[in-house]
Amino acid sequence: MLGEFPQLLVNGLVAGILIAVPAIGFTTIYAVLRFPNFAVASHVTIGAFAGYAVNVYLGWPVALALVAAFLAAGVVGAVTDEWVLKPMRPHGALTAAIAAIALTVVLENMIRFGFGNDLRGYDLPIFRDWRFGPVRVGPQQLENAGLAVLIMALVFGFLAFTRAGKAMRAVADNPTLAAIKGIDPDRIGRSASFVGMGLAGVGGVLLGLDTSIDPLTGFRAVLTVFAAAVVGGLGSIPGAVVGALVVGIGEELSLLAVAPTYRSAIGFVAILVVLTLRPRGLLGERAY
Amino acid sequence: MTSYRFRPHRRAVLQGATAAAALLAAPAIVRAQAGTIRLGTLTPLTGAGGSYGPSMRDAVALVVKDVNAAGGVGGQKIDLISEDDQTNPEAGVRAAHKLIDVDKVSAIIGTWASSVTTAVAPLCWESKTALFTVSGADSITALPHQGFIFRTQPNSQLQVHEASKFMLGEGGRKLAYIGPQTPFAQSSIDIMTAEAKKGGQGVDSLIYENNKTSYRSEVDKILQGNPDWLLLGGYTPDTIILLKDLYKAGYKGKMLGFAYAVNAKLLEALPKEVTEGIYTFEPSPAIGSAAHGHLLKMLGKSDVDPYTAQCYDHINLAVLAMAKAKATSGQAIHDSVRLISQGGGKEVSDAVTGLKAVAAGEKIDYSGASGPCDFLPSGDISGTKFRFDQVKDGKFVTKKIT
Repeated sequence: MLGEFPQLLVNGLVAGILIAVPAIGFTTIYAVLRFPNFAVASHVTIGAFAGYAVNVYLGWPVALALVAAFLAAGVVGAVTDEWVLKPMRPHGALTAAIAAIALTVVLENMIRFGFGNDLRGYDLPIFRDWRFGPVRVGPQQLENAGLAVLIMALVFGFLAFTRAGKAMRAVADNPTLAAIKGIDPDRIGRSASFVGMGLAGVGGVLLGLDTSIDPLTGFRAVLTVFAAAVVGGLGSIPGAVVGALVVGIGEELSLLAVAPTYRSAIGFVAILVVLTLRPRGLLGERAY
Repeated sequence: MTSYRFRPHRRAVLQGATAAAALLAAPAIVRAQAGTIRLGTLTPLTGAGGSYGPSMRDAVALVVKDVNAAGGVGGQKIDLISEDDQTNPEAGVRAAHKLIDVDKVSAIIGTWASSVTTAVAPLCWESKTALFTVSGADSITALPHQGFIFRTQPNSQLQVHEASKFMLGEGGRKLAYIGPQTPFAQSSIDIMTAEAKKGGQGVDSLIYENNKTSYRSEVDKILQGNPDWLLLGGYTPDTIILLKDLYKAGYKGKMLGFAYAVNAKLLEALPKEVTEGIYTFEPSPAIGSAAHGHLLKMLGKSDVDPYTAQCYDHINLAVLAMAKAKATSGQAIHDSVRLISQGGGKEVSDAVTGLKAVAAGEKIDYSGASGPCDFLPSGDISGTKFRFDQVKDGKFVTKKIT
């Protein structure tokens, strides 16, 4: 049984790194706008299909598909937030969260209207895995994980070194103080939606590259994304990364003990344990 | 005291209301008596079964057209109403309510997914509407359906039994089952295990969670036992992901999948090297039979899927049963199907010929495009053929028919 351990660890690590990207998006929006935006589900799907469109119809490589996914999901995210979710926010976080669920249903069905229900795969060759002793790793897995790490580095760089990133962190830390300092919360809210949903879209492509995509791609991932953000501490960006790794590795290692049919339950269990023992998440609420 | 005279009594109100209701209902009654027989199709035009539903509906419509052109059933024309079950029990129940309550159909034809059939069945037997289905789950004919369900699809028990025999016959030494959590997953494993035990072999099995984006770890787990044959128990979406992961893991053994899952859509979604050599199986249409030939000619095609063949049989059975009973209700179909489908007599393979024979007072035995269409008391069919195909260079090649 322990022979499986290294393989499951590697699988979990890769799964966690991929989930970390949309989890960062989700938690960024939470940090700035203070509500759980469940519309990430449909934006993961939008990104996956935008990436699919440029990859398959236009024949662009994966890196450009990621850019297209970021822009498409980011623009849709910013626009729908402005029109649909922003008017709901004054009525409380719960109202906005429910509106976000409704929004995700609408967007998902618009995708279905355009692309249909069929499964689609990116235009990529499939390779046999490389074997290192007891562990096997897919070339595509490594590439995806590398891309995810690169994207996360860009996000951290954006938040640490750019003016917009610093302003975003300021609003997340203390909106009143930020407003006194002359930072426009509306503008920051819009950029948070754009960046957050853009990252969700990128996550959609990363998840789809190794598997296949359909209008439910985002819906399937959203529980794990949410669990990652909660486990790490809602609103904490490094927390989202840690949370994603914990949930990703946890889901895989659980196969040692429980039947594979219960894999999704690990996300719920992780939320339950963290909220019971450490309600603010592993890394607390600090945005950065 | 004049006001007293005009005060409406409760009984008078009730009588008035009843009369009004009868008046309102009258047009429907008049319509039903005067003219047409109403039958419904409830096939999956969208969703996971969306690639089968339209042609199932078309086969029924073409038979109805022929029957109407030949004068209908006992002089009454058939009015066919087609609904979409969206491969979804909820939508299926809504559509069935409409067909039964509004359109007042005598029979519903063509439910495909087991979940839809299970949800729709109680509405049918409660309203005495005949239900013809192509679903496979064992549990369906075990429902208390009072004889209103007619199933032309062999149940999953029989299917897995045939599959196990095939894999062992092809030299399988270590069989394994991998599939999602479904009503037939555990029973399939049990049947495989029993069949393999006869040769002293064991069976590995793994039931996974549906709707996951990767099955890497599941694949590692099932391959630990070094199986040389895998039975794939999933539907198209999860099987696509599973096959990719099996390929990446370097699995070189043989695989057998249900033809409704390993279908043309799956071949399109995967590169050829991933699907090469996979076997598929399905209940075989009665290729070479008169009914099968007639159906192909009607559709103008050279090949037909088993569900369309079964729907062709459904409508023929319903029409001939009504003719035999000289009545058009669901109850009449319920009572008379077995009188025209089995037990000897003139062999008939299409409704128009059958109608003439029934009118002439002959005893008929319908033999269909999907098989002989002989029903057991449970509503299941007895005896059917299976077809095993193999994927070669991205196409299905028929391997054998058992």
